[in-house]
Amino acid sequence: MRFTKLFLYMLLSVSVLTVACSGSDDTSEEESFSATGQGVFVLCEGNYNAGNASLSFYDPVKKTVENGVFVRANGRKLGDTGQSIILRDGVAYIAVENSGVIWGIDTETFKVKGQVTTAGTKIINPRYVHFVSDTKAYVTDLYSPYINVFNPKTFKWTGAIATGQEESRGYCSTEEMVQVGRFVYTNCWSYSNKLLVVDAERDEMVREITLSSWQPKSMKADRNGKLWVITDGGYSMEDESFSDNIPHLYRLDAETGVVELDQTLDTDEANVQIEMNGTRDVVYLINNDIYRMNITDSHVPVRPFIEAPRDANGRRHKLYGIGVNPRNGDVYVADAVDYGQSGAVYRYDASGALIDQFRVGINPNHFAFK
Amino acid sequence: MRWLCSILSLMLPLPLLAQEDVHLDNVQVVAHRRLKDVGVEMTKLDTLTLHDNISLSMADILSKHSTVFVKSYGRATESLVEFRGTSPSHTQVTWNGMRINSPMLGTLDFSTVPAYFIDEANLYHGASSINLLGGGLGGAVEMVNKPVEKRGWGVQFVQGIGSFGTYDDFLRLNYANDRLSSSTRIVYSTADNDYKYTNLDKKTDVYDAEGNWLRSYHPEERNKSGYFDDFHVLQELYYKASETDNLKAFLWYTHSKRGLPFLSVDYKDDSDFKNEQKYNTLRSVLQWDRRGDQTALSVKGGYSYSDVGYEYYTTRQEAHTSITNSRSFSNTAFLLAHADWMLSSRFMLMGGADFYYHHVKSNDRSPFHIGKNFDKGRPEYTVNVQARWRPLDAFSLAAVVREEIYKDDWVAPIPALFADVILWKPWNLVLKASVARNYRYPSMDDLYFQPGGNPDLSPEKGFTYDAGVEFAVQKKHWTLRGNVTAFDSHIHDWILWTPNTKGFWEPSNVKKVHNYGLESSVEGSWLMAKALKLTLAANFAWTPSKNVGEQVNDNDASYGKQLCYVPKTSANVNARLQWRTWTLAYQWCHYSERYTTTSNEVNYITGRLKPYYMTDISLEKTFRWRHVECAVKGVCNNLYSTRYVTVLSRPMPRRNYEIYLTIKL
Repeated sequence: MRFTKLFLYMLLSVSVLTVACSGSDDTSEEESFSATGQGVFVLCEGNYNAGNASLSFYDPVKKTVENGVFVRANGRKLGDTGQSIILRDGVAYIAVENSGVIWGIDTETFKVKGQVTTAGTKIINPRYVHFVSDTKAYVTDLYSPYINVFNPKTFKWTGAIATGQEESRGYCSTEEMVQVGRFVYTNCWSYSNKLLVVDAERDEMVREITLSSWQPKSMKADRNGKLWVITDGGYSMEDESFSDNIPHLYRLDAETGVVELDQTLDTDEANVQIEMNGTRDVVYLINNDIYRMNITDSHVPVRPFIEAPRDANGRRHKLYGIGVNPRNGDVYVADAVDYGQSGAVYRYDASGALIDQFRVGINPNHFAFK
Repeated sequence: MRWLCSILSLMLPLPLLAQEDVHLDNVQVVAHRRLKDVGVEMTKLDTLTLHDNISLSMADILSKHSTVFVKSYGRATESLVEFRGTSPSHTQVTWNGMRINSPMLGTLDFSTVPAYFIDEANLYHGASSINLLGGGLGGAVEMVNKPVEKRGWGVQFVQGIGSFGTYDDFLRLNYANDRLSSSTRIVYSTADNDYKYTNLDKKTDVYDAEGNWLRSYHPEERNKSGYFDDFHVLQELYYKASETDNLKAFLWYTHSKRGLPFLSVDYKDDSDFKNEQKYNTLRSVLQWDRRGDQTALSVKGGYSYSDVGYEYYTTRQEAHTSITNSRSFSNTAFLLAHADWMLSSRFMLMGGADFYYHHVKSNDRSPFHIGKNFDKGRPEYTVNVQARWRPLDAFSLAAVVREEIYKDDWVAPIPALFADVILWKPWNLVLKASVARNYRYPSMDDLYFQPGGNPDLSPEKGFTYDAGVEFAVQKKHWTLRGNVTAFDSHIHDWILWTPNTKGFWEPSNVKKVHNYGLESSVEGSWLMAKALKLTLAANFAWTPSKNVGEQVNDNDASYGKQLCYVPKTSANVNARLQWRTWTLAYQWCHYSERYTTTSNEVNYITGRLKPYYMTDISLEKTFRWRHVECAVKGVCNNLYSTRYVTVLSRPMPRRNYEIYLTIKL
């Protein structure tokens, strides 16, 4: 039986080897952070269905960046497809769309203070959070025909507002929210050309505004109570078209819904987005490059405020997100590179001069300023 | 605990020795070289390997017994096969001669192929796939059914019961006489597949009565929405019409309902959301073979149908919403004729033509598209000519040329050259080499899917160079064979789907990839004693697969980096110890780390998947009576309960068990 023994020894050796080498995921430890000063949160949406969304924190004074601060501070992952981040009273609210969760984290320690999940609510894929008051926040959704309501202090779901959108074509998507007086306005992006108006006192949808262009992607309100909306124009392809693929920029009177400005933009290779400065009298928008205009201007300037970075071969970077520091007008522009690696962020001062650039997580798409 | 498992697993057979006398099969001579195989790099998986146990799919078999990488999203979920660091669409697959890659996607989900339905599988690596068909930039998998050899009636029934509510049933009825052979196989597999795991991607916070945070921990969760319910039936008929003519017919139907497991970072409740895929597939092949003294002719015709439905919706009252709903219908008809002509013992000509017609109708509803994706038909024609010549006893050459036409597009000719030299006869030591240029035409989704499909896509082009040695030797008590192959491959115009700013994805010819490396395998049998046989097989692959395409912009750090999810090294070992009626099997496999970003960043937690080692062990006892054979087999998968993932946020099951009862009449 010496052969048998030999075989058994061999098997034992392999067993030892496999035991010694068995790999496993680390249980992530929690790091302590103390970000007491100003800073910029950069939300990186990650790749859909990969669960690799992440959060970066940039110190504009030291010009340093800490990546992956959510997982490092909390020992848990942010989730799948981070969509938006907004700050209020020392808490950053992060909507992580495909995970069906809205996190609340402390803006200094980055520790989780609470979360809202889909259980017992009408949330499906949360997109944006808007604060109506200290105790009431609205959540828009990519799929749900409701705007959900929760208490940002307690993270308790308190109700939902039916949007009344028809499902016959398109989704019941609601996106960004702005408030003018008692009314909250939201743009419906997926297969829609609507803006919805919600009475924030009664938590009811009261009316809708129809645009001439399709798929309103981003919306802000200026200091004069005007709504600034940018559409992506749907798509137009060889075998199928949905609209004409021509983005539009609108300025509307929020109260009357009257369109005061309607300008067609270049067909966009970048992610159309709109931002405002801190005093809400200057508009910034991505339309391949970065454009800036005063809220009283009658059209988008011919020349961009900031040209999208170009590489040595003259190829323009496709911009993925924009943020404007409300304190000093610094402009932060995100470049998703190839959508599969760390994105880059360019920081410009209020005059458009490049100050700094740094790498963050995958697909940076949203900024929040502390 | 692991040490105990190891020792116990080794001790198990000891008290069982010397109980019953049995006859061991003779070892086989392995070194006969056919002209057909000149220069070919092929891995052959036999029935014994394929029919290891009823719960295994072809994806499981390939991951444990070959050098290919199987990218699996979990148990009974999509499992795609990649040769040498190429993409799954670069793996061409045939079943009894019919190409069965999805015409929509260009891939085959190997988790949908029960290994018990395949009697022989041949893996053609790199250029060697051109002997079989074009488009296999990585390689090709040939799956074949064979008639039973035993005359008369036969019945085989297998009942498997395993962890996570898994039940596997297999029934085979077969009959054979001198002319006719019939086999009917049925597989039914179902499982809750709701295995528990410690979710390291989440934490649960614990608060005191005042709401102050006390501590947090990783919760114990179960695999949500991982259930499956698969039914397959395969009918085969073989008819020997004359000494030279044979007719064969194959019919394979599958109905499957599978939940699509939630991500480990998904906070939704599976009682509120349903994420499910259902499909029906029918494949049929009719074949006529005529074999003469110097010629062989084969004519095949077939049809396949597939409908795939995918639905993701909420089940909550008052908020029922369909999130995604897609349905596709594929119909494929094919005809093939192939002839071999042995002009002399040293020269052989082969040639053939095949024709496929695919019709695909696809609809969906997603945030980015609603309605018809496309409704298209596409004819595909191929002709091939092959010449094989053995000018010297120790030296052979082969040349293959293929021409493919897709609708109105003529793909440039696909040429391949093969050579082999016998270096040392006693050990059948053979030096082999090949060079080939190959193309893969875009799939119908690549071209037509709306929105995003790109009708201007070019075919992917590849150059592959292979060189290696193989040997085979047989002695009185042992056999040994092995091979090692070095390869170098360049793929241009690699088709990659990337998201655009509207939220949907678009394909383009963006990438260039350089794959190179080594593949090796060794297999041996050792008759250690009168009734004791050891079979050992091992495979190893080193497959750097680098992106060498143009940078997207100067922030792009992906140049020269390993492709996402492609391991640089992989290895597996299979040991089987047979003693009389007992069989102890030990399987071990390893994959090196895989990067999840194109730039191979490892400085954050999701940047890479750690290497893992997997060990399975089984013990089988066979009982034989005059007309009945019965076997009981116990399997322990993931013996050391390794915590691992093969794709981000998709935890795999830890240690689990299955037991099988087999009855053969």
